[in-house]
Amino acid sequence: MKTIFHLDMDAFFVSVERILDPSLEGKPVIVGGDPHGRGVVAACSYEARKYGLHSGMPIRNAFRLCPNGVYIHGHHKEYGRFSKAMKYLLEEKFPIVQQASVDEFYFDFTGCESIYGPPEIFAKQLQDEILQKLSLPCSMGISSNKSVSKIATDFKKPMGITYVPYGKEKEFLEPLAIEKIPGVGKKLFPVLQARGFRTIGDIANASPGYLAVLLGKYGTDLWNRANGMGNDVLSVEQERKSISSETTFNEDIVGKAEIEKYIFHLTSKVAQQLRNENWQASTISIKLRYSDFSTLTRAKTLLHSTDDDKTIYDTSVQLFRQAYTRRVGVRLIGIHLGKLNHSCEQEFLFEDEEIIRKRMLGAVTKIRDKFGANAIHIGVSEKD
Amino acid sequence: MTKPKIYVGTAGWSYKDWIDSFYTGKQTKDFDWLEFYSQYFNTVEVNASYYTYISPKTVEGWIKKVEERNDFLFSIKLHQDFTHKRNFTKEQTEAVKSNLKMLDNANRLGGLLVQFPYSFSLTKENANHVKLLLETFNDYEKFVEVRHKSWLSPAPKASVNEPTHTPSLSIKGSADGSAPEIETMAERFYKFLAKNKSSLCAIDQPEIGEAVEFKPIAVGDNLYIRFHGRNEKAWRQSLNNFSKNQTYEQQSERYDYLYSPGELLEIERAIKEVLNTVKKVFIILNNHPHGNAIANAFELLHLLTERIKVNIPFTTLKSYPRLTKISLN
Repeated sequence: MKTIFHLDMDAFFVSVERILDPSLEGKPVIVGGDPHGRGVVAACSYEARKYGLHSGMPIRNAFRLCPNGVYIHGHHKEYGRFSKAMKYLLEEKFPIVQQASVDEFYFDFTGCESIYGPPEIFAKQLQDEILQKLSLPCSMGISSNKSVSKIATDFKKPMGITYVPYGKEKEFLEPLAIEKIPGVGKKLFPVLQARGFRTIGDIANASPGYLAVLLGKYGTDLWNRANGMGNDVLSVEQERKSISSETTFNEDIVGKAEIEKYIFHLTSKVAQQLRNENWQASTISIKLRYSDFSTLTRAKTLLHSTDDDKTIYDTSVQLFRQAYTRRVGVRLIGIHLGKLNHSCEQEFLFEDEEIIRKRMLGAVTKIRDKFGANAIHIGVSEKD
Repeated sequence: MTKPKIYVGTAGWSYKDWIDSFYTGKQTKDFDWLEFYSQYFNTVEVNASYYTYISPKTVEGWIKKVEERNDFLFSIKLHQDFTHKRNFTKEQTEAVKSNLKMLDNANRLGGLLVQFPYSFSLTKENANHVKLLLETFNDYEKFVEVRHKSWLSPAPKASVNEPTHTPSLSIKGSADGSAPEIETMAERFYKFLAKNKSSLCAIDQPEIGEAVEFKPIAVGDNLYIRFHGRNEKAWRQSLNNFSKNQTYEQQSERYDYLYSPGELLEIERAIKEVLNTVKKVFIILNNHPHGNAIANAFELLHLLTERIKVNIPFTTLKSYPRLTKISLN
């Protein structure tokens, strides 16, 4: 039996904003930009939530509900720095730490009792330490697996600690609403509700076969989770420094248009990898090798990090056009993405068009994962 | 090893634009800036010594002004005649030495900062010049600041067959007869510094061109770190305006930068990685415009001393409200 902690920073973006500007303390703060714009709320303080505000809602609606709130664009680089500091703090204490998102971590406490004492007492000490060292409030859930721990974290926020002892998982989950299970969102909730499922206990007590028929493989997974079972293996990946892909042509190529087709193909590959690993890149560079083996690289640092094919492609093509000055055959072309950081939603991504693009790219990523890189291509205008 | 003594301060203390953000605007006749400064910080880097040969009377005055603070240390920046013009006389050497001696005798000397320009790259001639300076001031602790990457890069392959560029090349002999392990230039440079009562000065500055990256490295007994800010745009501009006549504001613009709390956490981590390998750590903030250096010095002092609350004057708290959380008052 393992002891898995889930730790979630409370209103993370807002907490960081309050470190930068303490006058925001106690006020309804909304990170997301222009309250009259077309974006959505990236994060909001607990004071703002009292007005019915929540992450993801259109910012104009938020403004209607809470016109006296403080609306700010946010300091996304700073969020990344605090996220890193948080990770380092945990890694100093635990051998296995998994970062699930910019403000969410799992760590394996198994065997640490002899050093740190009982998990629920240690959790309080850790919470105090994080508050003292980083001025960040957080909540924690502790159980025998990741799924229950995550739900437990959400059970009591902010500055909450919820410990679910081994064997009590099902009992803990039973009365909770079905939407407390991560993954039961806008689409799945009405499907389950229409079939009379109200609480997690309702799912747990249903026949696993019925859920499998209703939802396929996901149904079985949902039934397991409702019964307090879940994954207790933390996936710890080495921090990536860069992602790159290059291709050497069978025969040297002359002509911009032809080479740009290859850039397009390489973009698909690196962007897919980037999104799969939940990264965004800030630096894009290209490598160009002429037939005489002379090689040059050109790089550009973006204002906002990205995982979007279009941005990567457009930037790469721009760099290529600047670099390709000789009328000599090209032997190799490559794209390199650097300065990677964990993907965290940024305000500019929430413009309507960006939301659609993001959904589309999410779908593209899934299709490629399932059917291969060539299963779907994003179109490019010949004129580009 | 016991924990090192931490010294946090700024590069200089006499800036008019610190009035109201550090020094009070309503100053009585006997209000002394250095005396006030030493109530809050335990070290300062003297930059005036880079431009002029300071009179012994002035040094005597400094010592008197900080007498209330037992642990206060001065670090003296070596005059530009030695580091930039590289043309100095015996008399000038004596003038520097006598001040160092005076501070040392009063137990007020942190060390001598030997700062070379960005253009000072690793060549045989430059390496010999470093050697000459370190030997000239051999009696005192020295902090050597090189801003060009070449001093800290690994040795290029070609150097294996070439005569050394640095004064102290050594090839580690191998007992089993295998190929000898060649030390990198950086390693040779560090060793050379340590042998000569010197430490490597780490710097944080915009990472432009061949500038060294921020990486505190413990060489010798001390760690000396200078923070110049990360105002990349103004820094680039200043490189273009090098040697042109500029106003104080123009000269200062490249240091106009306030490190964010997140950046300071990254800096804390980098420092802590080498902290326990030295006896003394000097943290010097040179991002002086408006008092930014003062604010960041208080913040780093807090981070590096187990987050104990810090004594901060009202003026600074008013100018930098984010410091309220770490303030003792």
